[in-house]
Amino acid sequence: MSDEQYRETAATLIDLFESYLGEPKGDLEAAIDELTVDNTDYKIVQGLAKLLKDECEFEQQATVDPREIRQRLFERANDSYPIVRQPTLGEDTQKLEVYSAVADELGISLEACYRGMYADLDDNKRLVRFGEQTVDEYDKDASDTSTTKLTGNSKQEYDQTEQTVDWLLARYNLALAQAVLYDASEMRIRVWDHFGTVFSYVKLFGLMHRIYPIDADGTRVDSTDNAAGYEAELDGPASLFRKSQKYGIRMANFLPALPLCDRWEMNAEILDDDSTRTSHQFTLDTTDGLVSHYSTGQQFDSDIERTLARKWERANTEWELQREDDVFDLGDEVMIPDFAIEHPDGRRAILEVVGFWTPEYLASKLAKIRQVDADNFVLAVSERLDCADEDFGDAADRVLWFKSGIHVYDMVELAEAYASATEMDRR
Amino acid sequence: MRLEFDDGTLVLHDAPETVPHAEWDDRVSEYRAQAYRYQAILDWAGHWTDGGGQATLQDGFTHDVEDAARAYPDLALTPALQIEPRDYQQAALDAWRTHDRQGSVILPTGSGKTFLGLQAIADAGVSALVVTPTIDLMNQWHATLTNAFGAQLTDDVGVLGGGSHDIGAITVTTYDSAYRYIDEYGDQFGLLITDETHHLAAETYLQIPEMTIAPYRLGLTATYERADGREELLKDRMGPVVYQEAVDNLAGEFLSEYETIQMSVELTSEERTEYDDEYQIYRDYVDSHDFDLWKEQGYAEFLKRTSYDPQGRRALVAKQRAERIARTAEKKLDTLDNLLKRHHDDRVIVFTANNDFAYDISREYILPCITHQTDTDERTEILERFRSGEYSMLATSQVLDEGIDVPAANVGIILSGSASKRQYAQRLGRILRPTDDRQPARLYEIITTDTMETYVSQRRRDGVSSSADS
Repeated sequence: MSDEQYRETAATLIDLFESYLGEPKGDLEAAIDELTVDNTDYKIVQGLAKLLKDECEFEQQATVDPREIRQRLFERANDSYPIVRQPTLGEDTQKLEVYSAVADELGISLEACYRGMYADLDDNKRLVRFGEQTVDEYDKDASDTSTTKLTGNSKQEYDQTEQTVDWLLARYNLALAQAVLYDASEMRIRVWDHFGTVFSYVKLFGLMHRIYPIDADGTRVDSTDNAAGYEAELDGPASLFRKSQKYGIRMANFLPALPLCDRWEMNAEILDDDSTRTSHQFTLDTTDGLVSHYSTGQQFDSDIERTLARKWERANTEWELQREDDVFDLGDEVMIPDFAIEHPDGRRAILEVVGFWTPEYLASKLAKIRQVDADNFVLAVSERLDCADEDFGDAADRVLWFKSGIHVYDMVELAEAYASATEMDRR
Repeated sequence: MRLEFDDGTLVLHDAPETVPHAEWDDRVSEYRAQAYRYQAILDWAGHWTDGGGQATLQDGFTHDVEDAARAYPDLALTPALQIEPRDYQQAALDAWRTHDRQGSVILPTGSGKTFLGLQAIADAGVSALVVTPTIDLMNQWHATLTNAFGAQLTDDVGVLGGGSHDIGAITVTTYDSAYRYIDEYGDQFGLLITDETHHLAAETYLQIPEMTIAPYRLGLTATYERADGREELLKDRMGPVVYQEAVDNLAGEFLSEYETIQMSVELTSEERTEYDDEYQIYRDYVDSHDFDLWKEQGYAEFLKRTSYDPQGRRALVAKQRAERIARTAEKKLDTLDNLLKRHHDDRVIVFTANNDFAYDISREYILPCITHQTDTDERTEILERFRSGEYSMLATSQVLDEGIDVPAANVGIILSGSASKRQYAQRLGRILRPTDDRQPARLYEIITTDTMETYVSQRRRDGVSSSADS
């Protein structure tokens, strides 16, 4: 398939889905199948359709619980057999009598009874929403031909479809890569930015990690102070005992987090067929053009951090403030301090801001902080919090207590005192 | 030392270096072990107690253990229907019990493996997870377990798979769903039963027993050996084979007698035209490519071509359409009409090969209907009502096996079916039973003449008679 054909197929499917708003799911699926009758790319068609279906809502259309309807029908029918299409004897029942009796019993129409009997079957559910479009909008557009949809604004509609095609093909590419990862036993990633985002997705999808600081070329370095990026080996608890595809699904779910980075690389070991025990490598990086649909989350955790960053820009100091620049490996999770404070001569300190948090969050944050083993780790802590010097373990001397906001020059002073010298070739 | 269940494994907090079965996990700086070592580790520490026995204190090598891993409850159950176990069933249960309730039992198909499973659950007295290879079998276990224990359980029998995700003290699932979710629920069950346990030896499925802490394990199968020899791997995860009953000793015992009546219908002229058109497309393609379709290899080659040759794809679709026309021929309903009149006082099961046709028939004749789409609990309820006589007729696109959960019918009507001969021999034999001595059970087969079905039916009956000879 050429790119143009992909776009065409995608556009055809999108049109098809739009035209089946309000129709039964079974009919929609039959129409999709019809597209593949003499098309050897049916796997691609089905794959694209699957992604579109994920954007759909199908709803059961029945006023009475279908299971209740059919149970009553079967009970009544059981006393009336034979129910036949062509009665030969006077006493043979016809189905209509049973349906009418049950419809009356339930106070619904004969048609509602007949259609409701299996309204809960997947095939009989109706497409009520496709993306942003709902049945109501569709009905309105169809009945009122003077609305935008059918008048003069075809340019706008065309652009919209083009956007949907872009979106669909992007999702499809991602889905293909994810499908390969289902058989992955181990994933190795390298990232040079968005550490907080990446590692929060690692945790979200239940992956375990080993983390190594790396330089701009991807070579491992000895400390986070010299790190331009991070390499992480990702797998799961039982990977300790055997190569397992068990966590492939988690890696596949994690994958869309990587394209959130400006620069990333991924290499996975993919186990082959069940019994052969062989494997091959699967490699992706920034240049493959994958697009993420995951969110990067908030850039700043709190107003205090945002205010500090703003004040720092206006302040007159050679020290620079960098966002989430370090990753501390704490075993089952990571700690990513809010900032690094760096001097052009290579000195740097790491800064964590402890603002206004709930007691639970504070307790877990303090537990993390106590695990961090770095002499250049400094903290800015709100006096309003219910904690004291001793809660910070070894870092107690390196705490700056603040009342309402953090002063840049206080931080610079702290950095001057505790920053460690590092080599200059970080970037 | 504190044992904690972590995502399908055991984390051994503050464990001594001598702890067995464990690996040092540098990621979290603790020892970690596979979940199925739970009992062995407790045993090593001198903390394993079993069925009223004493904790074994081995020469002073005891360790303080906090067991934070076990999340499964004790469960005292008695099967509702007190059926006397057959001799071999009792012997199998005894053998399993004396092997510390671990190991596999090999019994021929149709000898009541499910019944043995019920006995094991009652005997072990803990929550249980039953893993089956298919959704069909999962549904059958659900029906049987609900029947036996439903009234004694506070919750329903749980179902994990086939669109359901309910965990109960007794839960049924499929290999695929268990593989996917076992790391979440591996601490919730004290007994693991694997039906058709030879499937468990596959590389992926082996992780099901590995990721559960259940100290009691029972494997059930009729065919333990695998072509690849991997059944060896089961011993470590499930225990050894503890009992085996040869096929010969039981053969023939549970087969029932029935007579087969074949009825033919014609396609309507409209159907005939469409059928011939589609069939011709298929035939032309096959003839022009020299596949030997009667051989497995030839058919595989045809299928392969359909994935890259658009005409081949069209030919495959043509074949499927022709088959559907033959299967759902309009006049089959006329014949069904007559049969339902004739047998309206009997217990009738109507088989179709596809769901749509089963639902058409259910609507048309108002017959309760079971397909692959039927929810497990509704399926169980319909079968229960069929058993009790509240329903006397049933339409289904599923083949219902295992005598234990399918109530007997004396009339079977096959409206369409696939040509898997071995399955038909086993399944039909078990479902049909005469209701009185004067009239044998009957199996009607309604075939569309001059279609592919004629051939399929021939193969099916060949299968039935050849297996009856053996």
